[in-house]
Amino acid sequence: MDKLLSAIYQSLDMAVFIRKDAEQFTLYSSTPEWLVFFLGKSTSPQDCNLTDAFPYLTCFMDDAATHWQTRQTFPLTSGPWVEINEVGHELALEASALWVNDQPVLLLQHLGEKYRQEVSRLQQVRDGLLTQEKLEHEIQSRTLKIRQREEEIAIRLVSVTSYRDEETGAHVRRIGLYSAAMAKALNWPTQRIDDIRIAAPMHDLGKIGIPDRILLKKGKLTETEFSIMKRHTEIGAKMLQNANIPVLDMAAEIALNHHEKWDGSGYPRELRGEEIPITARITTIVDIYDALVHERVYKKAMCEKDAVELMSSMAGSHLDPELFALFMELLPVMRRIRTEVHEIEDLLVSCV
Amino acid sequence: MIQKKICMLGAFSVGKTSLIQRYVSSIFSDKYLTTVGVKIDKKALKFNGKDINLMIWDIAGEDDFTSIRTAYLRGMAGYIIVIDGTRPNTCDTALSIHQMVRETIGELPAIFAINKADLKSDWQLDARQLNKLKLSGCPILETSAKHDLGVEGMFLHLTERMEVQHG
Repeated sequence: MDKLLSAIYQSLDMAVFIRKDAEQFTLYSSTPEWLVFFLGKSTSPQDCNLTDAFPYLTCFMDDAATHWQTRQTFPLTSGPWVEINEVGHELALEASALWVNDQPVLLLQHLGEKYRQEVSRLQQVRDGLLTQEKLEHEIQSRTLKIRQREEEIAIRLVSVTSYRDEETGAHVRRIGLYSAAMAKALNWPTQRIDDIRIAAPMHDLGKIGIPDRILLKKGKLTETEFSIMKRHTEIGAKMLQNANIPVLDMAAEIALNHHEKWDGSGYPRELRGEEIPITARITTIVDIYDALVHERVYKKAMCEKDAVELMSSMAGSHLDPELFALFMELLPVMRRIRTEVHEIEDLLVSCV
Repeated sequence: MIQKKICMLGAFSVGKTSLIQRYVSSIFSDKYLTTVGVKIDKKALKFNGKDINLMIWDIAGEDDFTSIRTAYLRGMAGYIIVIDGTRPNTCDTALSIHQMVRETIGELPAIFAINKADLKSDWQLDARQLNKLKLSGCPILETSAKHDLGVEGMFLHLTERMEVQHG
């Protein structure tokens, strides 16, 4: 070998092998000190079995063979690996396969300082990632606690109205879960799904401002009484709006609009179609469903088939037809929520 | 002597190197030293009267900047995917590695090791993640390299599964 090349290999702490056959290699350069231990006593430099000396190379030789077959002059590297030398120190090595002077060549390099620098760089990066992961987890965990508290406060707030009318706490809870299921099917972001789960149950909060003689009246309301009753949408919205808290802003939007109808015949603003916020259109559908299939003091529960039939007749007039179609697709999910959330204890979020 | 290659896989800093050091050299260090590339350790054992030499490939953990070279997996007889019970992300990484191995190599004996059992009160894995691990059909073992819990048992369990599959 050219003396100059040999000197370069030595300065790079590199051994040069020429491939003889699938397993045997001939050492072409001088033997670096670190290599002596691994090549062992039994092998001669003319006849080295490198995969015996370095089991790591078993995962590289197939790719190297393909590389040599195509006579590529650029190197294919094995990636670094670590060996333990005769005194128990770690030694980072890397192999490269390339075609030189019409011969398949394998370079074996002791990475030395280059490897230590790479380890040090990755160590810093990963330490940083670990710290970031811890912080993110802490934030997530605290956010979850805040959300749980928000939900509990919302439900307790809503339960105030439950003392005055027939709505049960479980109904309130179900409205949130049905709405969240719809929002999830619509691929809303997680935050918005969480918001509607908490906000939808507050849709009737304004009933707190309706006198008992009207709210609890058994018979049909007079026109004047009904016009007072209708004000619960605006009362609720006023109670909830301008808080600058997304979940309460959404709750205000739902409270104001959940009696609007798709055909514009609803109240309080006679909005039509998509003028009605989607949050309210969702809440309207699930509120009607839950009210129909559950018993109230003034009515018996309807079977689900009849309830759905009745709601179908309302799609396009009272209800958003596309959202109602989605609701029908999700009916098994709705049914599971209906059957599983029926106790007052289910109301309270397990706030750890 | 029968030789078996097994790979230790998982996200970074889950304790792969520590588990190997505990098993092969009975030592443990609290200091986190990242692995770059691959390190191969050997452990000779007798199993059902047979002499077996485990070639344990400690493969650098996955992160956003490093992914496992599939070439590392060639010739392996089984693998252990390590999860840090205190870091839920590492469970998701474990599941995606498991899927990658199955797509690349096929079905092989595998074990999920939920490590850092000494910090069990700080574990953060949720029911959804544990359920996904169960659905994989692989054994799920709890380990602690620090307290030497379940480490030898884990390697023996994998050896047993490799013996059943390959004989």
